[in-house]
Amino acid sequence: MSKLNQTYVEVRSFTERIILASIIFFVVGIVIFAQVFSLQVLNFDSYESAALNNKTETLAIQPLRGIIYDRNNNILVNNIPSFDLIIVPSRVENLDLLLQHISSFINLEDLKIEDFRLQFNEAKKFNRELTLKRNITEEEKIKFAVRNHLFEAVFVEQRYLRNSLYPELFSHALGYVGNPSEEKLTSLKTQLNSLNNIEQTYTSGLIEGKIGAENIYDTFLSGEFGTKQREVDARGRTLSEEIVSTPKMGSDLYTSLDLASHQAAFSAMQGRRGAIVAVDIQTGSIVTLFSSPTFSSNKLSNGISQDEFKILIESPDKPFFDRAMRGRYPPASAIKPAIAIYGLDNRLIDWKFSIEDPGFFVLPEDGRIYRDWKEGGHGKTNLFKAITQSSNTYFFELAYRSDIKSLKNYFKDFGLGKKACLDCFNEDSVFVPEPEWKIKEHNFGWFKGDTVNLGVGQGYLIATPVQLAKYAYILANKGVHKDLSLTFNSTKDSKELELRNLSQDDWSKIHESMVNVIEGNTGTARRLKNLKTFTVAAKTGTAELVSLESKEDYEETRLDSNLRDHAVIIAFGPIPNPRYAVSVVVENGESGGSVAGPIAIDVLEALIK
Amino acid sequence: MRFLDYKIFRIYYDPYLFFSIFFLSTLGLFFLYSASQGDLSIFLKQSAFVVIGLGLMILVSQPDPQVYFSYANGAFFVTIALIIIAIFFGPTINGANRWIDLGVTTIQPSEFCKIFLPVFLSAYLVQKSLPINFKSTLIPVLIIFACFMLVSLQPDLGTATLILLSGLFILFLAGLNWKFIGISFGVFILSLPFLWNNFLAPFQKQRIATLLNPESDPFGSGWNIAQSKIAIGSGGFFGKGFGEGTQANLYFLPESETDFIFAVIGEEFGLLGISILMLTYFFIFFRCIYLAITARDRFCRLVIGSLSLVFISTFVINVGMVIGILPVVGMPLPFISQGGSSIISFYIAFGIIVSMASHKKLIPR
Repeated sequence: MSKLNQTYVEVRSFTERIILASIIFFVVGIVIFAQVFSLQVLNFDSYESAALNNKTETLAIQPLRGIIYDRNNNILVNNIPSFDLIIVPSRVENLDLLLQHISSFINLEDLKIEDFRLQFNEAKKFNRELTLKRNITEEEKIKFAVRNHLFEAVFVEQRYLRNSLYPELFSHALGYVGNPSEEKLTSLKTQLNSLNNIEQTYTSGLIEGKIGAENIYDTFLSGEFGTKQREVDARGRTLSEEIVSTPKMGSDLYTSLDLASHQAAFSAMQGRRGAIVAVDIQTGSIVTLFSSPTFSSNKLSNGISQDEFKILIESPDKPFFDRAMRGRYPPASAIKPAIAIYGLDNRLIDWKFSIEDPGFFVLPEDGRIYRDWKEGGHGKTNLFKAITQSSNTYFFELAYRSDIKSLKNYFKDFGLGKKACLDCFNEDSVFVPEPEWKIKEHNFGWFKGDTVNLGVGQGYLIATPVQLAKYAYILANKGVHKDLSLTFNSTKDSKELELRNLSQDDWSKIHESMVNVIEGNTGTARRLKNLKTFTVAAKTGTAELVSLESKEDYEETRLDSNLRDHAVIIAFGPIPNPRYAVSVVVENGESGGSVAGPIAIDVLEALIK
Repeated sequence: MRFLDYKIFRIYYDPYLFFSIFFLSTLGLFFLYSASQGDLSIFLKQSAFVVIGLGLMILVSQPDPQVYFSYANGAFFVTIALIIIAIFFGPTINGANRWIDLGVTTIQPSEFCKIFLPVFLSAYLVQKSLPINFKSTLIPVLIIFACFMLVSLQPDLGTATLILLSGLFILFLAGLNWKFIGISFGVFILSLPFLWNNFLAPFQKQRIATLLNPESDPFGSGWNIAQSKIAIGSGGFFGKGFGEGTQANLYFLPESETDFIFAVIGEEFGLLGISILMLTYFFIFFRCIYLAITARDRFCRLVIGSLSLVFISTFVINVGMVIGILPVVGMPLPFISQGGSSIISFYIAFGIIVSMASHKKLIPR
């Protein structure tokens, strides 16, 4: 009886428990079904497109970049088709083995293996492709083609090299191209909203302008990207490829730059540090924009070895520094015509007014002496003579009579302290010195002596070569001017200096005095007289880097070539109807007249011819 | 139930189970053929296992349950010995020592442990009267834990989990008192942090973390699950068709012939295919529950009950993993995933179930 009871209890307990377990598993089964239902029915669309995205990748096709011309329709920059051997580092398991394998039939002697290894790791990390060898030969192409199936991570594709026909002449002005930045890729992604694999887009040889006009006009030159779709497997191998939309070639850029003048500038500079900027007076367009020393833009666009790059980047001459746009130089005596116009316009002086120049100026407040460059002075000096012979004493005197608050506005009107060019890359606007500025920067009050120094373009006064060129252009065109640009941009507004008392006659006399700088027997640039075939107006400047008491002190200083004076000149011609204005700075060139002057003449000759 | 009833020759079998398992095996070969992208050698090898397995199932159905009762200890200890041999002398594949190389094929003895452990424990527990006292609970618990540890060492967390479950099912069905179950469960929950810190390998922790937040690492450990969900989801209602699954064919889906074959089925045959599959599994399960309840004695009840729970939990864990609601563990889909030992072990299990269900008690004890 007890055993029967025991069995009854056991069967009941077992039945209860197994039914409980079945119910639990049944419920779990329903949960599973619900999840499957949710995946396959409720979220079908998103999973369907996910599966589609898995196996297809959309790639951007780089359109051919626009060609860049000079003002005479000479091609400056174009594209050269190149068959490149490209590897996909993320698919490479053993780099050494792969390179060994490839080098058995493709010449890899030029490959800098250490550089390449670094780039390889970088590219692998970001799943980007890497060019192993550019421009492989026809023979190598065939050799690779027959072995194609052996390489999962290597392919040959036609790409384009950005090619400057004059790689040294326009490296700063036009710039170079390179791999696109993250921002560029992001904006590209928005442009091509079907693009789901942005890492891959990088891999199709996309380029962007890095500096210069290539950068400023990047969108214009780029054109419209096309797309192609690839069917791929999980290992990224391409199964099929289809072009979805064809790329639209970028627009050609017609610049106002002049090839011949760049050639002249390049040979005249002879690799010295400095810059040359020339402006077409009729349009306000930049025709010459050259910073020296220079580098090959092709090498930067298409690959430069770490060693070569290191030499450039470590060179004391700093070839990558764009002196035309960012070099800060005291304009020195070249500023004197502007001071003269200030004096005339404010009736502080007139053409008849003269001083007795003993060779120095004494500041009445504290007796400090400001020396002229010529010992003993220029004697009785009026404005015309002061400009022609570049009398410091005269301009010290004039500056002493000036009001800095008013003078600074004239500097600004002549283009200092603001950007001169509408479409130049990375231009430095610098500043115009004034009392507020000095308090802010130096925590020091403005002295009368500071204004006196400005009279000869020294002290706190600083300008870039492009600003000096604009200043020369404003002088040349008697106050009427436009913003500078690298193209013949017809939409620019014409501006005019707002002068109260300056007459056309005054302008003509300023021009005459500047012509006399070269033509006059006592002009500071009289050495240039026989170098040219037309009349040129100019003003030289010799920018002191250290403030010295006497000539003897300078002889000591100039032993260190980096402390020698900068040579500056502004010039325009031909007179009487000037067509071009130019500024030249030669660092540590010492003499505006005999060092910077011939360069300016060479460039003007090339432009006018 | 008798199929042929001669005086001397009688075949024991269950038509419902036989035909549903036959159906499932055939379906399995069909799916596997698609998942292996027409690799005929995989298909043929698996076909051989199915044929051998079905034969083995019928063969195993014939002896009286009393035979299994007698040999329960022997079968269990041989299995344990084989597991130990595999650990120390077996080939190391992917860092694991789960296999014994027989030349023609390899076997994975741990797969058989999930069958012989319940049989062994049932034979032990039927001799104890209800309610099961503390000593009779402790001994099975220790044995279960020892088996679990042994298989974990191989390492094979999936099979070890299944072995643990198979033992626990027996204890539960044998009438372990609720208080004990409650306390053990409480202790288990409390010891979770300890287990997490001391027992799980980093990759296992990662898998659990991935389950909780799959998007955290879509290209690492979340990749498999993400791809498997894409495969199933993109199948839709009717699926992409036989051999048309891009996820499997283009290698996005991992382990598409073994642990993740459910995803291939989902992709190629859609909700319809999965419904048919699930109905078949649950039909087999409920048939077994019925057989367990109507079995002739306590030993048969316990064995049928626990083996059918092992069967359905294997299914549930595998599918739960593939659809992303359970962490990733190595767990085959019964009768469908490629792999000899797994499929053979289930045929044997169902052979034992049929034996126990179809041999009616002739003489009351």
